[in-house]
Amino acid sequence: MDSPAVPIRRKLSRITLITTGAALLVTTVLFLAGEVVAVRQSSLQQLKILNEAIASNSTAALAFDNPDDGHAVLAAFRSDPHIVAAALYKPDGQLFVTYPDDASAGGIPAAPGGPGYSLAGSSLIGVAPVREGERVLGTLYVRSDMSTVYDRLAFYALVAAVVIALALLAAWVVSRRLQRQLSGPILELASTARLVSDRHDYNVRARPVGINEFDDLTHAFNHMLTQTGQFERRMSAQVSRLALLQQITQSIGSRHDLNSIFQVVLRSLEEHMPIDFGCVCLHDSGNGTVSIESVGAASEASCRLLDLHVGAKMPVGHNGLYRAIHGTLIYEPDCARVESPFAQRFAGAGLYSMVIAPLSVESNVFGVLVAVRRANGAFSSADCEFLKQLSEHVALAAHQAQLYGALQRTYEDLRQSQQTVLQTERLRALGEMASGIAHDINNAISPVALYAELMLKEPQLSEAGRGRLATIRRAIDDVAGTIERMREFYRPREATRAFRKLDVHGAIDQVLELTQPRWRALPQERGIEIELRREFADSLPDVVGDEVELRDALTNLVFNAVDAMPEGGVLTLRTQAIDGEDGRPAVSIEVIDTGIGMDEETRRRCLEPFFTTKGERGTGLGLASVYGMLQRQDARLEVDSEPGKGTAMRMVFPAFVDRADSSGTYLAPHATQRRLRILAIDDDPILLRSVRDALEADGHQLQTALGGQAGIDAFAAALGTEHAFELVITDLGMPRIDGRRVAAAIKEKSARTPIILLTGWGQRLLDEKDVPANVDRVLSKPPRLALLRAALLDLTSPHDPAL
Amino acid sequence: MAAVHPAHGLARAAGFLAVLWCSLASGAAPAPEYQVKAAYLFNFGQFVEWPPEVWTTPNAPFAICVIGDDPFGRTLDDVVRGESVNGHPLVVRRHKDHKEATGCNILFIARSEAARLDDTLVAVKGRHVLTVTDIDGADRAGAIIVLVSVNNRVRMRINVAAAKTNRLVISSKLLRPAEVVGLDES
Repeated sequence: MDSPAVPIRRKLSRITLITTGAALLVTTVLFLAGEVVAVRQSSLQQLKILNEAIASNSTAALAFDNPDDGHAVLAAFRSDPHIVAAALYKPDGQLFVTYPDDASAGGIPAAPGGPGYSLAGSSLIGVAPVREGERVLGTLYVRSDMSTVYDRLAFYALVAAVVIALALLAAWVVSRRLQRQLSGPILELASTARLVSDRHDYNVRARPVGINEFDDLTHAFNHMLTQTGQFERRMSAQVSRLALLQQITQSIGSRHDLNSIFQVVLRSLEEHMPIDFGCVCLHDSGNGTVSIESVGAASEASCRLLDLHVGAKMPVGHNGLYRAIHGTLIYEPDCARVESPFAQRFAGAGLYSMVIAPLSVESNVFGVLVAVRRANGAFSSADCEFLKQLSEHVALAAHQAQLYGALQRTYEDLRQSQQTVLQTERLRALGEMASGIAHDINNAISPVALYAELMLKEPQLSEAGRGRLATIRRAIDDVAGTIERMREFYRPREATRAFRKLDVHGAIDQVLELTQPRWRALPQERGIEIELRREFADSLPDVVGDEVELRDALTNLVFNAVDAMPEGGVLTLRTQAIDGEDGRPAVSIEVIDTGIGMDEETRRRCLEPFFTTKGERGTGLGLASVYGMLQRQDARLEVDSEPGKGTAMRMVFPAFVDRADSSGTYLAPHATQRRLRILAIDDDPILLRSVRDALEADGHQLQTALGGQAGIDAFAAALGTEHAFELVITDLGMPRIDGRRVAAAIKEKSARTPIILLTGWGQRLLDEKDVPANVDRVLSKPPRLALLRAALLDLTSPHDPAL
Repeated sequence: MAAVHPAHGLARAAGFLAVLWCSLASGAAPAPEYQVKAAYLFNFGQFVEWPPEVWTTPNAPFAICVIGDDPFGRTLDDVVRGESVNGHPLVVRRHKDHKEATGCNILFIARSEAARLDDTLVAVKGRHVLTVTDIDGADRAGAIIVLVSVNNRVRMRINVAAAKTNRLVISSKLLRPAEVVGLDES
């Protein structure tokens, strides 16, 4: 009965009906009970009165023993239909008369019994004495039938039942009407609530019904709906912002360049938030400015109105950016009221509310995100919070992008330096091998060179002999030069050799002249033609370098170009004044062919030593030597090539910057030379002899010592005598006691005696700048007489007498 | 009104009693008739109202007088023995004629006094005496209650005018079983 599922309508009905029914039932029961009591009382009362009257009237009949009169008296009971039997008894208990006259003896007791009234079944029996004065004349017995009374009560009950039924019916009808008034509005509210929950439409409102309490409920309900609607709108706005934040965060998370990140952020904001203008500015703390880094696509039109453009710089101190740069999110609900020129600029373009969110990483603000809307106060606190969170994400992403870029650059640098190291290692290995070979060859050709030079000075030499000797001398020089270059693959810079200003065009012409057989004569013999084009710049900046090396490099490049055009083509030599890598002027010298070109693999490996595409004909050293040479001269080599289209090899020389020693010559003038006492130490007797012969020809006095220990002993023996040596020339590489120890021993004995170290590794020693202690000069083998003379002159004072 | 002389009534009652006794002796049943009549006499005390001034004291006797020949014998004495009416003890007195009978409340005139009925009635007229007789036609002479036999049962004939004359109030209850005469005279 108390189940909550029972509708209020039925409940109300029940309550009404139960109340009504209970009230009526209680009333009826009480009424009937009262009626029973009352009827009994009145019946009794009636019977008593009747009895007394009849008893009083029957005195005479009894007194005078007159049954007729007795009958007549009892006949009075006829007036009361309830009296079913009556009798008079004489004082001695004898039955005198009965009523009705023909009453059977069964209905009347033989003796009257004691006086009083009693209820037996449905009969009320009264026994009363008949008195006249004090005398008892007899007894009156009366039996009254109560069944008719009870019938009447039953009738009353029936009537009451009918009345109850009618009353309940009426109550039901009334309660129905009442319910309609009560449950109607509640059901209306319920249906409104259902409508709201089904459609999620919080604009639905329940109608007032005109009953105070219900209208209060309705108003409260409607108010709740309003609040729920607002809450729901706030929630959905929040959810959409979160979704937007997530979308933006995801988008920028996969990007690694700043501009792309900013563009994604600004476009998303313009499209989804939305905003009317958005830009990202970066802060330069060095000069205190912000510069516009990125502007949203839809904001570009506004940019023209605002007179802003990407890259525009604005000073921080003079606009509203100051606080944002210090890490605070700035919200200007009305730019027109803000005095800063930055805000005024927006107000002037009809953009009134502005949020500036700082982009900071580790409390270092590197920029700001600017979001602007047209209307006044168009940003809610939720918007500001959203922009604040977004700016944190953007800052992180930007920071990561920067880190990523830095990482990429570092990685690229590492890769390049790794390649360089690899290449250098190869060249070093090659160089070491070449160096060993060169050492031996230099040793071998040193006497040849020295003697050739000496012989050239002999006056009796025939002209033909002199010519041949000169040829030998040139050949020796060329061998020495070749040996030198062989070692130079890995050598960054030859410190001893001063550069001269290069005549670039002259060098090109010389090379073309020298290589003419390769690019003209030989192809023509095979019936193919190579067209030559000179594309020289009118004027070039000065460049310095070794002209011999430049010629070698050009020769190599021309040979390669010709080899790349087996079917003929165009060979172009082009010079240009260009901007170098660091913005300084530079000179580009290009050798361009229209040949077979190189594929990617070949292009990548073409500079490696011993890598060749020419089979047996190639050495694999051409481009490698070009690369080494250019590196020594601060120049670089660029290769453009495409299979089938041809190749362009470009040498870029930085323009000459004036240096004091640039014009220095490397041959000392033949100054006047004192005659010196010189000790020459070497483990090679042939070399010793050649050195002695050469220097003795100059007038010096030479003593030789074969091996380091012999040298030290000779020096020690002569020291302090008139034959003491003024200068020592020693070989570096000797068994047991090498040049360094010799030098150390001699310096220990005579610190002022100059020592010249001759070595097949001479250049390497110079390169590594570790001229051994105690050594005054290092000269490479084969010793050129001129250099030797210069060293002698340099190390000894012409006027200073020998010690 | 002339009072009934007790001695005279007694004589009459005696004569009446003699006749009654003769009739009893002759084999009739006078005794049950006069037993009933004795009970009647007794009962009249209940149904007739005497003015209180009749009695000088509260316990003055209520006298039932029989004049002429007494037909009752001891029956009447048996009936009234120990009884009283309104506190007045009942006594039975017998007189020869109405001259002797004085101070009577009920005066029974036996048949033996039939000749002097009118004198007797005149003598007690207006003197609070209930005159009772079983002489036929006595009602017309002015006796208040006449006992008659109807179908062997004793019935009363009451002259209400005579009762009024003697200043007695007869209960209506007594009138019910009786035949009432003299209504037009009252």
